Amino acid sequence: MIPTALPNILRLVYRNLLVNTDPGSLIILIGLPGMYLVFFGYGFQSVAAGGGGGSSYLTYLTPGIMSFQVVMAGTVGGSMLWADRRWGMLSQLLTGPFTRLQYLLGIMLTSMLFGLGGSVVMLGVAYALLGSIPTQPVALAIIFATITVGSILFGSLMLFIAALVKSNTAYNSIQILLIFVVNFASTVFYPLSSGLPVVLKVLFYVNPLTYVSDAVRGAYTSTLTSTDVYQVLLLLAEMAVILFLAVRAYLRSDVSYE
Amino acid sequence: MLTRGEHRLFGRPDVSFLVLDAPLGSGSGDRSEAVITAENLRHTYDRRHFALDGVSFTVRRGEVFGLLGRNGAGKSTLIKAMTTLIQPTSGTLRVLGMDTARDGQRIRSRIGVVQQEESFDFTTVEKNFSVYGMLWGVPKAERDHRRELLIEKFGLAEIRKRRAFDISGGQKRRVQVAREFMHEMDVLFLDEPTVGLDVIMRRTLLDSIREEVRRGLTVVFTTHNLEEADYLCDRAAVIDEGKILQLDSIENLKRLYGGKKTIDLTVANGDAPRFYSALTERLGVGPTVTVQGSSAVILTDDPKEALSRIAELSQSLGVQLDWLNVRKNTLEDVFLRSVRHGGDPHGPP
Repeated sequence: MIPTALPNILRLVYRNLLVNTDPGSLIILIGLPGMYLVFFGYGFQSVAAGGGGGSSYLTYLTPGIMSFQVVMAGTVGGSMLWADRRWGMLSQLLTGPFTRLQYLLGIMLTSMLFGLGGSVVMLGVAYALLGSIPTQPVALAIIFATITVGSILFGSLMLFIAALVKSNTAYNSIQILLIFVVNFASTVFYPLSSGLPVVLKVLFYVNPLTYVSDAVRGAYTSTLTSTDVYQVLLLLAEMAVILFLAVRAYLRSDVSYE
Repeated sequence: MLTRGEHRLFGRPDVSFLVLDAPLGSGSGDRSEAVITAENLRHTYDRRHFALDGVSFTVRRGEVFGLLGRNGAGKSTLIKAMTTLIQPTSGTLRVLGMDTARDGQRIRSRIGVVQQEESFDFTTVEKNFSVYGMLWGVPKAERDHRRELLIEKFGLAEIRKRRAFDISGGQKRRVQVAREFMHEMDVLFLDEPTVGLDVIMRRTLLDSIREEVRRGLTVVFTTHNLEEADYLCDRAAVIDEGKILQLDSIENLKRLYGGKKTIDLTVANGDAPRFYSALTERLGVGPTVTVQGSSAVILTDDPKEALSRIAELSQSLGVQLDWLNVRKNTLEDVFLRSVRHGGDPHGPP
């Protein structure tokens, strides 16, 4: 099965990269997190001086923004599914030599590439701003492995939502809300402090982006703790559950043309 | 491999065909071989109404099989089932010898589908061709070659650099149909492929499909346009309310009326009800007369006799005729009578 499935999935990924991305979208996808890094990094430097383990806020924020890429990658996945539905290509592709699962995996792999690509660009921006970035192979391996898992998780989540909702408008509204909550109820921009209201604390704890952000930051600043390792394991478990739900919802959804 | 053919459209030397010089897929096999077999297919979307209700038929290799029916008759559901997009609720359906329930992917890798709805990648026309060929695993050199020939054949050169969503409806349809020929296939499913095409492009498309059929391609074709079905199909099924009402060769369908002809007539002045009443009496039990206001449609196997009766009566009753026309039965007559009378060809017109 794998020998025939893999070329199909890779073709779908290539197709997604060729036709489901355009320069404008790419600039927004990568430029927006880059702008966060520049504007927030410099803007909040004075307010947050001393925060983030004694390093500058920009150093604290860089791994957070790299983690933010996994959410952006997830939105890419959901948007691709909706674009294919909207332009009739979903049912067209599914009357072709592909299975539904291959189509889904093609989107997830594309999301993952976006997540990894975006985080590499953020590393480049960070190097331009800070003059240094981690170069240890182990640290980079942990960073990119975590980004990969996070991208699949958020890709699955967005596909799950895309499979359930009935209109593109509803999907976009949910996506905007989710991006906001997931980003700001995580350790992307600021650490989990004891002064937070309980509700926000709970949101921080259940938010997978917190785990991504903590692990990436730990590897980036060489301050990984056992808690980060447990969080990564939890992240893997969450990814498996959400991936299962997304596949299940998607396989059951009606994709045929009317 | 696609090559330039010598065919001419309507004798126009400026419009030439590009045809495949080899059969697509394995289409050159035994023409009596069943490519699609449906047995007692039933499908329901809501567990109350059946979109397909006991449908059985066979499509043979190398034939053009038409599915005729009004909106909601079950044509699209049948196409979805054959292209494995849905699984029928019950019954068996085999395409290319494979069960649609178990071998969906293998079936889909050997069929082409032109959907009724638009389906494009959000990019230029020529890139749509290239990407589609790539998805089907056509090697780059081959897909570049096919793309160029198809763009020429379907008259798309002027719009090749434009985004597929910025072109006109007819152009989109041409792109969509042409794109399907980027890959090899054994069976091509066409769901209303000529909607939005002008007369010349419609005929070009139908002729190019005929050309592929001669080379072994099997085509399943849905249409509302009965002239098209008459022109293209070898056999056709008339579907209504999920049931096949008629299924035969086009010629046999037309012969269902035993060589009867149709006379249309309209009375210009005089007592039309009296005239038609007398005419019905004079014609006897053979012909059927359907009157609607001042017009009537007569179905008869002896048009000469009917015409002489009409002439006699119009003279004796002082009735002037506004319109009189004798014509052969068309596929449209078959279709209308089948749908109106649940498949009974001997019902009134």
